[in-house]
Amino acid sequence: MTIREDNRLLDGAPMLPLRCAQCGTRVRVRKSSWHQTSIQWDAEAMDACLERRASTPGGGPNGGRFPSCEALRQTIKQAALDGAIPVPDDHYGPVATVPETP
Amino acid sequence: MTAVGSEHDGVRAIEAEAAPTRFARGWHCLGLSSRFTDGKPHTVKAFGQKLVVFASGDGKLNVLDAYCRHMGGDLSQGTIKGNEIACPFHDWRWGGDGKCKSIPYSRRVPLRARTAAWTTMEQDGLLFVWNDPEGNPPPADVTIPVIEGATRDDWTDWVWSETIVHTNCREVVDNVVDMAHFFYVHYSFPTYFKNIFEGHTATQIMKGSGRPDARPPARNGEPQMTGNTSIATYHGPSFMIDDLTYHYDTMDIKSVLINAHYPIDANSFVLHSGIIVQRSDALEGEAADVMARKLGDFILKGFDQDIQIWKNKTRIDNPLLCEEDGPVYQLRRWYEQFYVDVADVTPEMVERFEYELDTTRPVEAWRKEVEANLARRAAESQPA
Ligand code: FES
Ligand SMILES: [Fe+2]
Repeated sequence: MTIREDNRLLDGAPMLPLRCAQCGTRVRVRKSSWHQTSIQWDAEAMDACLERRASTPGGGPNGGRFPSCEALRQTIKQAALDGAIPVPDDHYGPVATVPETP
Repeated sequence: MTAVGSEHDGVRAIEAEAAPTRFARGWHCLGLSSRFTDGKPHTVKAFGQKLVVFASGDGKLNVLDAYCRHMGGDLSQGTIKGNEIACPFHDWRWGGDGKCKSIPYSRRVPLRARTAAWTTMEQDGLLFVWNDPEGNPPPADVTIPVIEGATRDDWTDWVWSETIVHTNCREVVDNVVDMAHFFYVHYSFPTYFKNIFEGHTATQIMKGSGRPDARPPARNGEPQMTGNTSIATYHGPSFMIDDLTYHYDTMDIKSVLINAHYPIDANSFVLHSGIIVQRSDALEGEAADVMARKLGDFILKGFDQDIQIWKNKTRIDNPLLCEEDGPVYQLRRWYEQFYVDVADVTPEMVERFEYELDTTRPVEAWRKEVEANLARRAAESQPA
């Protein structure tokens, strides 16, 4: 199978580079709405993230996964508010747009 | 024929390569191990082949290619004799390591009397088999986590079921990201949704409330389900553990749900679902078992809804996604790692990707903050 590019990245906004305000880790970020955020990490970023390094596995069979970096979340939120990461204003996410079902 | 649309009119074409005939590298669950310990060999069609699963006298579960290297007899129709499976055709004896151990009517076993053997693992009452088209053993860091409740008395036994689905197994994996289908197909209402792809794992975190329009009202005195919290991870290409808590108006119920499959061939797979439920004060003794069965039925209904869709849909490599859809392309990029040689796994297939949808903070709150931000900046840029 060939790996194909997401049609939304081809036709819409790209993933934009952003540095974490806390540790300087560089990731690529995109928001399709105020509610939605995509983050692409690379190996260097995964090594550099302080919260990730400090994290301990949570409980349960899936607890080994690092859930998210809160500092990066804050950075992205601020970048969105400042306009550094553009947010299309006409998207509200599926929850707000689903129709009533009979 | 009048064409209503054609390529020239900008009609979007559905593209799809044939489903791969190579099968994913990774651990695959063949179901409850107790199913295979009845003293008989079992036929399992998987990875485009016929396999025999048998418990040797030492209690170990073994998986071999079903076809005897002598004259092609079907070992899964044979008999277990001691630690070996005896072929029904001429009684050659095959060990779990794939070697022919003896031929009752011959003094010597010929050279190269060796058949394909799969690495197996028994854990939490389940039988796993390692598939690798390159023939390498499982790396130490590619494991299936232990599910604690599965072997504990304060949890129920597995409520397990299997069904054959006639389509390529990519369809079931796609569900990990398909947020919108939870609403339309399964009548649940995610308020928070997150995917994390990293290494050989793909995770879906979901918090949802039940849809009042779709759920049956609670009978008098029975608790009413109000929502659920689900942390589900694919550990490799085919085995998903869902750490699932059901919220009721009066209590929480903890459960672990398994959603696993193994390919029969390129166009069919066996879909497994399993569930265990924790016993608690609210759910003592029998009540937990009843609940497990109920939830098991509920989950099967969910699968049936999926299967109805899969049976009739077409394979599509170029889904046309809107901004509200989940990360289908990124999931498939992750999934591709299991279909190429280890040497050809690229960083983009395994590097961490996060997709988050959090609707708990209303859009209005965001708007207000942006406006306040702009006002503050305007004030700051006023000449002193
Ligand atoms: S074919 Fe199996 S023993 Fe002859
Ligand atoms: Fe589904």
